Amino acid sequence: MGKGATGKPKAKEVMKQLTKDYYGKALKAHDENKWVAYTTAVSPVELFHAHDIIPIYPENHSVMCLTGRMMPRLSLEIEKRGYTSHLCAYARSDLGYREVGESPIGGIPDPDFLLACNAQCFTLTKWFQVLSRRYGVPVFVFDTPQYIRKDEARRNILTYVQRQLAEMIEAMEELTGRKFDYDRLREVLGYSAEASRLYKEFLDLASIKPSPISIFDALIHMAITVYLRGTKEAVDYYRLLIEEITEEKVSKGIGVIPRERFRLYWENLPIWFKFRDHFDFLAAHDAVILTSLYTHAWSYDFDVSNPLRTLAENYTSVFSNVELEERAERALVLFRQYSLNGNIMFLNRSCKAVTFGVFELRDMITEETGIPALVFESDMGDPRFYSEAQVRTRLEAYLETLDRMGVG
Amino acid sequence: MNHQILEELLSIARDPYPKVRDWKRRTKGRIIGSTLADVPEELIHAAGLLPFTILGTNKPILKASTHLPDNACSQARSDLELVLTYQRDFFDGYVLPQVDDTTQHLSDIWRRNVPWDFFESFLLPRQVDRPSARQWLLDETLRLKGSLESLTEREISEEGLWESIGLYNQNRRHLRRLYEMKRRYSHLLGNRAFFDIIKSSMWWPKEEHNRLLEGFISSIEEADLMGKREEGIRVVLSGIVWEPPEIMDILDEVGLKVVGDDLCVGWRYIDPDSEPNGDPLRAIVDRHFRKGPFTPIYDKGNRVFENLLDLVTQKGAHGVIYLHIKFNESQDYDLPDLMEDMERERIPLFVVETEYQTTHLAGLRTRIQAFAESLMEK
Repeated sequence: MGKGATGKPKAKEVMKQLTKDYYGKALKAHDENKWVAYTTAVSPVELFHAHDIIPIYPENHSVMCLTGRMMPRLSLEIEKRGYTSHLCAYARSDLGYREVGESPIGGIPDPDFLLACNAQCFTLTKWFQVLSRRYGVPVFVFDTPQYIRKDEARRNILTYVQRQLAEMIEAMEELTGRKFDYDRLREVLGYSAEASRLYKEFLDLASIKPSPISIFDALIHMAITVYLRGTKEAVDYYRLLIEEITEEKVSKGIGVIPRERFRLYWENLPIWFKFRDHFDFLAAHDAVILTSLYTHAWSYDFDVSNPLRTLAENYTSVFSNVELEERAERALVLFRQYSLNGNIMFLNRSCKAVTFGVFELRDMITEETGIPALVFESDMGDPRFYSEAQVRTRLEAYLETLDRMGVG
Repeated sequence: MNHQILEELLSIARDPYPKVRDWKRRTKGRIIGSTLADVPEELIHAAGLLPFTILGTNKPILKASTHLPDNACSQARSDLELVLTYQRDFFDGYVLPQVDDTTQHLSDIWRRNVPWDFFESFLLPRQVDRPSARQWLLDETLRLKGSLESLTEREISEEGLWESIGLYNQNRRHLRRLYEMKRRYSHLLGNRAFFDIIKSSMWWPKEEHNRLLEGFISSIEEADLMGKREEGIRVVLSGIVWEPPEIMDILDEVGLKVVGDDLCVGWRYIDPDSEPNGDPLRAIVDRHFRKGPFTPIYDKGNRVFENLLDLVTQKGAHGVIYLHIKFNESQDYDLPDLMEDMERERIPLFVVETEYQTTHLAGLRTRIQAFAESLMEK
């Protein structure tokens, strides 16, 4: 493992090793008589860690397929079976992987159990039902009604979600034949709470001027909190990462790009197969995307003293499950906290859950900030729906507009 | 058969707005609009309001696209268009159910862009396979009750709610009776007419609708129909809605007889009844869990397919027509497995993909004709 000047291992190298270990362990799970559960990125995965079930995130595997430019090949395989090209690219990539067996990491183990939390999106529940039929294993739809701003509704929603956590614990006990250990849950939740806090601290480094990180760093490093929150490794990892950035960049006033003028917000998931290109292109124009509600989706605030309640609260109130006004308010907090002066809003064909509110969000954010927004359509994972020339032209035109407005 | 009553029912289905506006003028009643599906209409009725199911528009989309991207299904866009453009001042309030990402966003967009005096989201459980769902729906129904009571400033009494439940049960029974008659005497009542009558029920005050149905059913019962029972090609319809409505005309034209369905604007609206005992709110909630499957809502197993298989067997259908609204994500995920399941069971399946604004149906007519002919050959 590569080491920095202080002798400490580099965070990126640690991340590589953690990822390798995680998938290595997962691939051996069935041989070692361990249970494997597929779950969604925003879901109470702490229950799995506490019950010694290995959580696997098909979404993460799909991201690897997308960044590995395996689309549209994987999608074409399932389009032959009647799935349409306008479904979520994660789902298409995953279902395609199951047809052809090709994967950048040698595949993921088959599931024994599926957990689909719809706070993130409805799509996942349908996708996981397809997998449930394919493998003949149970799917648990963890239903989180929209966290509307009405006190009575919120009280009822949290009660409903807590009941489902109890139902899920029962389902896990039935599956494994083992009693659930609540003390272990508290321990796991402690790690999750600390990892989430540190992850947010890492994201918030982007509020510094010049920013030592961009959203592209967040997109890379968020992987650990997505699939290893609830473990000590995740806590240690974010400590190391923050120390490293503080030491190498913050203490020296070094920004992530040489000249920082446009500090941009990004709405939606990234265009996974292009995000490095976008970083370079924007940097050449003194622009950098710093944050997004998407990367903040894992900035949980857990209260370890009340495990089921805090899990219910955190996983229900994720940005994609609140009313659009509240989502806009959360984005506006980021605008202020990070001193943002530009707004790129991506209409992601793949993601209805995040995208269908974008026009309303644009109006609300622009009204409040006075900053115009660039809205463009493409797909987070399928190059067939991406036009390089058009995206670049629009980005350039947008930055010129900001320039004319005297921004930055 | 009483053609005058039939025409009255069909005229409501063709364009309910002038007649319901007239009702509103006469009675000073208030109209609460709800999109599909599963809002407890009995509760709205018991509050002294007229529940009205919003079934979109086939007219052009003019404004909705500035709020919802084009890959939102046309059901959502047409519903929004209806209230943004064509019937902006028709409704006094809304109760919008949420079952997926599209309906969740639609609710927010609607609340922000359509004028209203009353607005509630109705957060349906999106799983119905565990006990938590039942308690949740009861809590949510109670919340809606409280909200309606705040609007009308009067309590919804238990007695009043039972009366409404009785009225709605009666309407469902009439419509099921009519379905049975349609199956037997399809020369009297075609697909379009029958399903239009169900639509009219979703719009017209139930007291009056029941009266019309009673008159119409009696007139069929009194007619001399002995020996006129028709055989034909029997099909089951699967999906949510039948849009554009000309689809049903095509089925009539090519001689396909719908003998069963799982549509939200069909059997799922008219079955089952609420059980008339215990607590009325619980009776409404209990009915929800006894309804047929609805694609966005998760239940154990593969219920959409299993239910279709049962329907085909029970009704002796020759095939299934699946009505797929383009960009309906839930149907998109169901279809490939469903096609394979049906093929395995050797049940002919024909998938019709349309949008509310689809106008060129000549190609579809040819394909449905070919499907009908292939069923005839079997």
